Amino acid sequence: MPCLVHAKQLAVVTDTSNPTTNLSSADLLKIFNLRMRAWTDGKAVIVVVRDPSTSDMQLLLRKVLNMSPDQAHAFIQTHKGSIVVADSDDAVIRFVSSNRGAIGVIDLYSLTKDVNVVKIDSKLPVEQGYLLRGNEP
Amino acid sequence: MISKLFSCVLMISLFLSIAAAQTAPQSDALPLSTNSAKALRLMDKVWDLEADQVEQAKACVVLRKVVRIDPNFAVAHEILAQFSLDPAEQVIEQKRAFATKSHATPAEQSLVVWFQSAADHELIPAITSMNQVVKQYPHDKWVVLLANFWLMNEQQYERAADVYERSGIMDSPGLDNNAAYTYANMRQFDKAFALMEKYVAALPKDANPQDSYAEILRMAGHFNQSIEHYRAALAINPRFYSSQFGIADTYLLMGNESRAREEYELGFRKFPIPALHQVQWKNREALTYIQEGDLAGADDAFQALANYAHANKMGQVEADTYRQMALYQPDSKQSSALLDKAEAVILEHKNMMAFAVQQELAQILRARVELAVKQGDKASAESALEKLAAMSDSSDDKVIELAYHGAAGAALFAERKYKEAISHLDEDIDNPLSLRLLALAYRRTGDVQSAKHAGEVLASVNFPTLEQALIVPPFRQCIQSPNCDASMKNASRQ
Repeated sequence: MPCLVHAKQLAVVTDTSNPTTNLSSADLLKIFNLRMRAWTDGKAVIVVVRDPSTSDMQLLLRKVLNMSPDQAHAFIQTHKGSIVVADSDDAVIRFVSSNRGAIGVIDLYSLTKDVNVVKIDSKLPVEQGYLLRGNEP
Repeated sequence: MISKLFSCVLMISLFLSIAAAQTAPQSDALPLSTNSAKALRLMDKVWDLEADQVEQAKACVVLRKVVRIDPNFAVAHEILAQFSLDPAEQVIEQKRAFATKSHATPAEQSLVVWFQSAADHELIPAITSMNQVVKQYPHDKWVVLLANFWLMNEQQYERAADVYERSGIMDSPGLDNNAAYTYANMRQFDKAFALMEKYVAALPKDANPQDSYAEILRMAGHFNQSIEHYRAALAINPRFYSSQFGIADTYLLMGNESRAREEYELGFRKFPIPALHQVQWKNREALTYIQEGDLAGADDAFQALANYAHANKMGQVEADTYRQMALYQPDSKQSSALLDKAEAVILEHKNMMAFAVQQELAQILRARVELAVKQGDKASAESALEKLAAMSDSSDDKVIELAYHGAAGAALFAERKYKEAISHLDEDIDNPLSLRLLALAYRRTGDVQSAKHAGEVLASVNFPTLEQALIVPPFRQCIQSPNCDASMKNASRQ
């Protein structure tokens, strides 16, 4: 049966003590390709992601990192100590909420009060023109 | 059938159901705060009626009794707000739920805040409140079913399936019923059919399992089997009127309009039905004329429906009827006048949820954009689109958002900005108007594979709506023609 996938909205989340409320898309790229390793308050950045083969991650890869899933796998393998791979959105939230300086990406509809949502280019996931929304197969 | 809430213009199906059998341990259950043991007992009856049997009107009768017994029972007010078939009652009960939440536990309060936030177009607090409750009570049938119902409304089918699967509840017929619709919307019909077999086997003496099976078969395009199951439902319970109208809807989708009308009329004659159900199927009956290309007949049917809605103070239905009439008029001035009328009606009525007013206004603006595009009136299209963008920016409402994307996609398509159009149309893929333009836009950008795929999806849409009636039958005819690619743009009757 033919099927089209409904558009997704991803939320970038940090621990609730992180004072950062907004990131530019350029900074987001720097964080996820590990070029920006510390927050403005000096706290180390810890990146947590889902497996690159998931549709959410593919959206992030396409919209931010300009990488294929294979390239992302290889990137994670070579930076094992710096990137945490979680097996579910719940796991991302658990990790982010309990590790100061952590940042992750989840489906907006998995969001809980345990983490903060960060605006990207001054937009929340629910706003028109938000970067991390769209369809992935 | 699943329970339906009629508070938005698209008649989006929303779901709530609670199974009779307790499967989860008591500690897993959301505590319901009421000072009345009788009210609590009646809630079990509500669950049976709402979930397993999907007797929504009867469930609401019991719910009204519950809130009379305990006026401070916040969750009961909330459930009544969600499932009432009376728009005015929906508004009142939502207010009462919020006003009485201080009498409830923190988890129940989160549940009320979830739906209040959704009603206030505050999506992020709605999501976090929902997840708060789901996290706390992942195995509670109320919670799982409410989450399923709300996420389906938000078109978050994967998340809805996820909540169901994680609940581990395997023996709730009502939950199986709702989950089957989730999978059907994901076009995972194997899973949906398996759940339907289970639902039918669990409740062989109830009509609704057969009715649901019929509807899901119809969604998959198995029309004859669908009618067999609707008839089986009526054989079990001859008063289960939704199955009679289900037969009519199926004939409509099969393109047998005269038979569809006979079945609708039979239903209206045989069954006393609530006003909101009456208008739903009167609307479907009007669609039979559209599909036949009998626009005068359609005008008469829609106008009669608008008059009925007016007489019954159903402002949203009346406004939406005028909006729908505007969509198929060959004369643009007539369309414009009908949209003015729709707007005037929606603004004068006060007995509607605020969000419902905004949703209808957004639909009207979308229609204005599409009309202006059709007329080549770029300035009017931009002006209406700007208003719609502002509405969409200032709220998190899914219906408004989809209206914006559909309108923006249509406007960009008309300007031949196909790639930009795709990024908007992609967001509105349940609407045949957008799906048709999406297929065309892909084709114009040279992405033949995506165009073919979008076209296949469009051809397989089987929902009895105006957009379906306008777009899908001519599209199906078109794709069977060797000249389809060239003529696809003009294939609809718009």
